Amino acid sequence: MTLFHFGNCVALAYVPYFLTYKFSGLSEYSAFWKCVQAGGAYLATQLCKMLILATFFPASETGGGNLDVIGEFLKTSVDFGDLIGIQLIMSSIPGKGEIKIMTAAMGWATAELVMTRFIPMWVGARGVEFDWKYIQMSLESNINLVQHIAAAVLVWLWSRHDFNRSLLPVVGTLLGLSVYRPLIVEILIHAVGLGSWTLLLAKALFTGAVGLVTLQLYVGLVHSNPSNHYD
Amino acid sequence: MYEEAGEVFDIFRGVFPISFLLFVPAVLIIVSPDPVEAAHEFSVYRMQQFDLQGTSYGCRNAIVNMEARSLGASMLTRRCVVTRLADLTVDKFKDLVDQSAGAVLVLLPDDLSNVPRENLEEFIELEHDLMDQDVNTPVYFAVEDNTLTKIYAAIQDGSNTDKAATATEALLHAASANGFQMVTTATQATPIKDAQITSIQGKLSGLGIEEHLPTVAIVAHYDTFGIAPHLSYGADSNGSGMVALLELARLFSKLYDNPKTHPKFNLLFLLSGGGKFNYQGTKRWIEDNLDHTDGSLLSEVSFVLCLDSVGSGDGLYLHVSKPPKEGSALHSFLEELKTVLDAQFPVVNFTMVHKKINLAEDLLAWEHERFSIRRLPAATLSHFPTHRALERQSITDQKFQVDPGVLTRNIRGLAEALARHIYNLTAKGHDGSMEIFQDGLNLHPKSIEAWLNSVTAQPRAAQLIGKDHTLLSTMEQAMNGYLKDVRRLTFKPDKRDPEFVFYSAMQTTMNAYNVKPAVFDLFLAVGIAVYLGLVYVAIINFHFLYNFVTSINTIKVKVKHQ
Repeated sequence: MTLFHFGNCVALAYVPYFLTYKFSGLSEYSAFWKCVQAGGAYLATQLCKMLILATFFPASETGGGNLDVIGEFLKTSVDFGDLIGIQLIMSSIPGKGEIKIMTAAMGWATAELVMTRFIPMWVGARGVEFDWKYIQMSLESNINLVQHIAAAVLVWLWSRHDFNRSLLPVVGTLLGLSVYRPLIVEILIHAVGLGSWTLLLAKALFTGAVGLVTLQLYVGLVHSNPSNHYD
Repeated sequence: MYEEAGEVFDIFRGVFPISFLLFVPAVLIIVSPDPVEAAHEFSVYRMQQFDLQGTSYGCRNAIVNMEARSLGASMLTRRCVVTRLADLTVDKFKDLVDQSAGAVLVLLPDDLSNVPRENLEEFIELEHDLMDQDVNTPVYFAVEDNTLTKIYAAIQDGSNTDKAATATEALLHAASANGFQMVTTATQATPIKDAQITSIQGKLSGLGIEEHLPTVAIVAHYDTFGIAPHLSYGADSNGSGMVALLELARLFSKLYDNPKTHPKFNLLFLLSGGGKFNYQGTKRWIEDNLDHTDGSLLSEVSFVLCLDSVGSGDGLYLHVSKPPKEGSALHSFLEELKTVLDAQFPVVNFTMVHKKINLAEDLLAWEHERFSIRRLPAATLSHFPTHRALERQSITDQKFQVDPGVLTRNIRGLAEALARHIYNLTAKGHDGSMEIFQDGLNLHPKSIEAWLNSVTAQPRAAQLIGKDHTLLSTMEQAMNGYLKDVRRLTFKPDKRDPEFVFYSAMQTTMNAYNVKPAVFDLFLAVGIAVYLGLVYVAIINFHFLYNFVTSINTIKVKVKHQ
């Protein structure tokens, strides 16, 4: 629509990231450079994923309305690469667990935001045509931030050897859920026919639930064993 | 944080390729023109624009890039008024122009045959009146589809804003309403440089020395006219005349092919172009035949019969500029036609209409006047009692206006009368009920209908029929099958003083962009600010949630330990 609308969308998408960075304590740890590195790792991971996808899942000729669940499932499985990437970033960052998690998640999420949202917004939100989808895109990026933080926490928990073994299946399920989230969303769109706003709400609720359970697990680990504060 | 950012950029400084890689795309993105992403794209057809004999007609403007409003809205200045056909009247149109509306988009119903008769008649009058106006506003026509219906409803809804009772109400409405920006891809209309008019002629030569035999010429113009060239299908005027001419050519070619029935009479056929532009093609044909070549068949023609709109109604009128003298060929043909129609089709109400040529008028009334001016005996056969019938120049003249049965009947009457005239059957004592065209010579109603479908399947406005148009080759092929010496006559207007000028951009694509008013952006900004404030509060107070979860956890742990 106008540059003003573009500004609105950008503010909606980016300011929560900035606020999170500023007030989560990351800025006090001079983690900016680390976040940029995490962003670089995001790029490298995406490149590897793309290579794998291009090698093993060539674009299918049959473009139809039907959802190829198994094919999509296999493709989405490649997203486990993201978790490996996050794990690698966290292992390369010295410091407390929460700083590790936040740095990796922030860098990762911001890189994703810049790479996947900025150009569509620049092209679309400035166009003559008005569409709610750019506002929705911005809101979705906020949800994604929570999602990435939760994923980073889960990966961190998974890699801890002092973590309660009996809870590992829970962590595994949650990780699986966060990886297959796009697929679940796709199936939901096909099966229930959710509108864009209800879909956004569903994503928010889903991510909120995953986030709360993750927080519960995290708190459980950190507080059951105070020595974990330093790693 | 900013110092840190500086630190990062310090790294890139001096590393040329990287800064280059960052810099160039950024510049490219910033300087790129506003991206266009179409919401709804549809074809629109612009109102006629042409110059004829030095006078300009029609709509002088083609560019539209403005917000849409409905007809009832109060603020129309530099807006694109979107209206349905049924809602537009001449007075309203004048009113729009007075309010300096920027453009007019008229939505036409999908199928005109379902529109009530009186609405059609009103629209035909509107078409005529619009052509009389000096229109500087772009006027476009579009066929309404489902999306356009929705857009139209939204525009109507949005236009009520201007009438809101209070300022707050208006503001709220402005923020929630859907606006539409109408944008055409067309550039300004320019004269078409290589415009030309093509006519096709053919003949059947009689038995004997061609030059010594009497000749009858049958002429029908094939082009159409309507408020928008791309919507002018012209079924009755003059698709019916074309089909009649082709069927006559077929019937008589059979008679001429048979040595037993080969008459001592020549038949000339002409499908003329530019008929709606003061019969330019016919004019050129007459000039070519009378002024340049000596001894042409036309200069010695016994009469010329023009066909214009013969596809409906129970009337048939023979329009002449001068009542034919008794004993002349035209008079004898007239009598034959009367005899045949009286005997075989008593339902047909046949009359001769006499109208003098008015040389003071810009446009000739009927095609035969072109011949009458040059003192050639001529007449036009039509079911319209007067040349003022506006239906002849309307986009409502579509296939449903022609009754193939009536067309077949008229062709039969015409063919019988012509045959009686050629073989002089009345003098030989045959009465009007004698049927010549039967059995092997019978008319083909199916082929008549097929021809009618074929010629009305596409708009045939003179602007659209270039020299490579398939219609020309189709007609040429058909005539070649029946007639001899089939030729195309191309008429290009004079360079310095053109008889006619056609203009481009008669058909273009219009985009309807869904837009929101500027107030909406303000509202949105406020909403976003509130949301961001909430996010800020949530992040600042995250420790409450954290502590809450922790306390639940400790309780659990305690419970476990007990």
